[in-house]
Amino acid sequence: MASKTPKARPKARRAPSKRARNTRGGKPRRGFIRRLLPYVFLLFCLGAVVVAAYAVYLDGEVRNQFEGTRWTLPAKVYAAPLELYAGLDLSRDGIVSRLARQGYRSSTTTDRPGTYESVGGALDVHIRPFTFWDGDQADREIRLGFDGSGVASIRPLDGGDDLALIRLDPLMIGSIYPTQGEDRILVKLDEIPPMLPAGLITVEDRDFLHHWGVSPKSILRAAVANARAGRVVQGGSTITQQLVKNFYLNNQQTLVRKAKEALMALLLDAHYSKPEILEAYLNEVYLGQDGGRAIHGFGLASYFYFQKPLEELQPNEIALLVAMVKGPSYYDPRRNPERARARRNLVLDMFHDAGFLDDEGWAVARKADLGVTARSSRSTSQYPAFIDLVRRQLHGQYEDADLTEDGLRIFTTLDPAIQASTEARVNKGLADIEKARGIKADSLESAAVVTSVEGGRILALVGGRNAGFAGFNRALDARRPIGSLIKPVVYLTALAEPSKYSVITPLDDGPLAVKLANGDTWRPNNYSNSSHGNAVPLHYALTHSYNLSTARLALDVGIPNVVETLKKLGYTGDPLAVPSLSLGAVDMAPMQVAQIYNTLAAGGYYTPLLAIRDVTTSDGEPLNRYPLQIKRAVDDAPVYLTRWIMQRVARYGTGASMYKVLPNSLDLAGKTGTTDDLRDSWFAGFGANRLAVVWVGRDDNQSAQLTGATGALQLWSRIMKDADPRGILDVPPDNVVTVPLRLQFPNGGGADQDLYQYAQSCGNATEVPFVRGYVPDGLSSCDSDIMADNAARARQQQQQQRESEDEGNWLQRIFR
Amino acid sequence: MIMNTRLAGLAAMLAVVLLSGCVTTQRTDTYPPTGSVIEPQPEPRGETSRLPDRTPPVVTGGQTTGTPQQPGMQANQPLPPRSAEQVSSPAVRSLLGRADTLARNGNMDLASSTLERALDLEPRNPFIYQRLAAVKLAQDQPGQAEAMARKSNSVGGNNPFVRADNWQLIAEARRAAGDSAGASEAAAQAKNYQRTSLQLSQ
Repeated sequence: MASKTPKARPKARRAPSKRARNTRGGKPRRGFIRRLLPYVFLLFCLGAVVVAAYAVYLDGEVRNQFEGTRWTLPAKVYAAPLELYAGLDLSRDGIVSRLARQGYRSSTTTDRPGTYESVGGALDVHIRPFTFWDGDQADREIRLGFDGSGVASIRPLDGGDDLALIRLDPLMIGSIYPTQGEDRILVKLDEIPPMLPAGLITVEDRDFLHHWGVSPKSILRAAVANARAGRVVQGGSTITQQLVKNFYLNNQQTLVRKAKEALMALLLDAHYSKPEILEAYLNEVYLGQDGGRAIHGFGLASYFYFQKPLEELQPNEIALLVAMVKGPSYYDPRRNPERARARRNLVLDMFHDAGFLDDEGWAVARKADLGVTARSSRSTSQYPAFIDLVRRQLHGQYEDADLTEDGLRIFTTLDPAIQASTEARVNKGLADIEKARGIKADSLESAAVVTSVEGGRILALVGGRNAGFAGFNRALDARRPIGSLIKPVVYLTALAEPSKYSVITPLDDGPLAVKLANGDTWRPNNYSNSSHGNAVPLHYALTHSYNLSTARLALDVGIPNVVETLKKLGYTGDPLAVPSLSLGAVDMAPMQVAQIYNTLAAGGYYTPLLAIRDVTTSDGEPLNRYPLQIKRAVDDAPVYLTRWIMQRVARYGTGASMYKVLPNSLDLAGKTGTTDDLRDSWFAGFGANRLAVVWVGRDDNQSAQLTGATGALQLWSRIMKDADPRGILDVPPDNVVTVPLRLQFPNGGGADQDLYQYAQSCGNATEVPFVRGYVPDGLSSCDSDIMADNAARARQQQQQQRESEDEGNWLQRIFR
Repeated sequence: MIMNTRLAGLAAMLAVVLLSGCVTTQRTDTYPPTGSVIEPQPEPRGETSRLPDRTPPVVTGGQTTGTPQQPGMQANQPLPPRSAEQVSSPAVRSLLGRADTLARNGNMDLASSTLERALDLEPRNPFIYQRLAAVKLAQDQPGQAEAMARKSNSVGGNNPFVRADNWQLIAEARRAAGDSAGASEAAAQAKNYQRTSLQLSQ
């Protein structure tokens, strides 16, 4: 190591040679000794050479560490920024809560970035400067005006016209650090509040600016204090020594180590300026632990404890961090608030005594709360499932070292508000269901995915009921049979053949037995264990999730074709093309279901679901974009017809209980899924701008005692309610026409009276979509969705016509 | 080669922008019925239809059924929007303006990124997808260009102004991909919609 730093040699020799001179000066000159002198001298020279060599070695180590890649910087992961614009559907309270989440401070003036102030009905915000993936946005003071529906105007307070839109700096949601690794955010000495270095010197090392790296005075002072107290109450280590300890040494408390530490501190002090050493210390010092992640440096600690950048800290907050240097665990403000508070106030007193905190500021700061956020937003333990997904999407494109060492900036699609509410809804929803249904507490598990539909952005991802726990990521890894969630895929496959199927094609729901290749017989059954006749309109069979008719339909269109559709929609697995696939005998993770349903929701356009939109270097140079990619996967007409039925599922079918929670005016589409023995409860559904997939079940794969409607749908409706959903816009594609029909299955029954009734009035007709050119033969407006009825009616009409013709003949005969 | 494609794409994008501004002179409140002539099937149907283009009989209330009328296409409805300015919020307009400037300066990556930002605000605005199609064309991604243009058609409803430009973009995309037959089909579609646009504007 020393050989790599030749320049170190001359300087390194200086220290031992000083010592050598001193020692020699003190020796008496006697005959015997004089004779021994050459040997002593030789021995001494040997010793000096060893010490010198060691010093050279140490010096190399000191310099290497200090000047080389001093720290590895974990990649920083950001949520999607909030776009502020006139027309944004977010109240003042909503924006304030978003600001608070990002550590913005309510203040009486907004002359500093990171502050906001309510001014009458308006809200002044001083937005922080931020380097986005597409360039810098300077800090800006704006005034947000509000009306009944949300943001009405954005006026820049530095003058000028109203702004069309401006982004808030994004919430940093985590880091990609190595397992059991250090995490930090680098700060520069000249960019931080001067109170921090001043306070640090005052509290930790008063002589910092004057000593040579070690301070005999402090050691003495500490020794006296310790002797008086009878235990170690004070350390004599200088800031330089502490840095050396953190940087280069392990935690062994031996004399040799102490000596080495002192020697290295001297070397460090000789080579580097005081500001350089202080800056290194600010970035190196250990300030807390977050699971496997060690919080290093004041830059990260500021976010970890206060969720805001260091430059925005107030005196009480600075004092707390300085106070914690002595023992980050002992003085942990989250676990030991009283202890932390006492030490903080002691530190504030020292600030005050030293003269850089005035009387008023001192009084205010002493009274202030600790101000730490309940949960650390920088903690990866806040969104572990989502960060896990980010890691996986980066994997293969970046080496692990790129992600944990180079300080990359990763801009994701996460919506912190939707993520927070989804976590809360999952957690509370499961507890409510367990309570209401007498299910053992904490036995249910769940996973949820929320996307933006268009663009395929993942807005929220929950991997379990305890979202903060970085365990099994069920959203990505819990592969369970999807049950009836497959049915829309079966119907889509059928409806893509308009010459054979329309939404009112009668399906046979009678008992079914299929001889399998292995000799077994597959006998599916309906949930109700009964058949619904041999002429169930196609739309009705899906709306009410009938198994027998669906299985028969799937066999009719061909299971391999269903598999084909599944793949077109975005499923990457290779399921067995067996008859039971028609009822969902294929295992999928919620994320995979979300991909498939997202294609349905986006009108048949496949977009790979994305968690990341951009990656830049630490200073903002673009590295990787993940641009929007779309592919026309399936024709829009059959997708439209399928979605039309899925809207009926939501209105009248197995999903109808969603409207106990969601407003009636909202047009949504979805499908329930339930598997054998009620093991898995699924719901997947969407509006125009939100799609959510929810799974509820048990990790041990025992029965959850829940159907899709009693379990997952309960969570789904509430997640959706909080996610700012827009209803589906009913824009049929060109080649779809509608015919008003009276949907009367199952009550039609073919009774003559009904036939007369609908001939007389066409109330309650529903516009039923058909592919142009494929409206079933003989179908007229106001007909029924029961084809048998229509046929009967047609026969009857013909009969009447014939009768009247006969009558005519008869009259003719009379009047002839 | 790449430069040429870029220039061609840029020209296309500008053409789109210009077209949407100058197709028309006059507004009328009537909207001619659109039949299968001006809405040809983009792809041939596999199976022979039993009753091609059969419309069911008219029954009650004098309401015509089975015609290709779209919601918002009734005779007394206003014209469909022909430019982004008519339907976009100020926020989206400002992003579109920024994207146009970026595209004119050849910065297609950022133009695309800015358009995606606009799409986050208005995910079903056909004009954003249309511009994305133009940018993808300039980026030498004809497949994506066509997909974006088709998506624009699909979210735009039956808007001949939007569709004429989209089919023009699709024609260029197919030409760039070496599919000349497909390109002329698309060009024919574009012509059809241009004709409808002109009728509408008279």
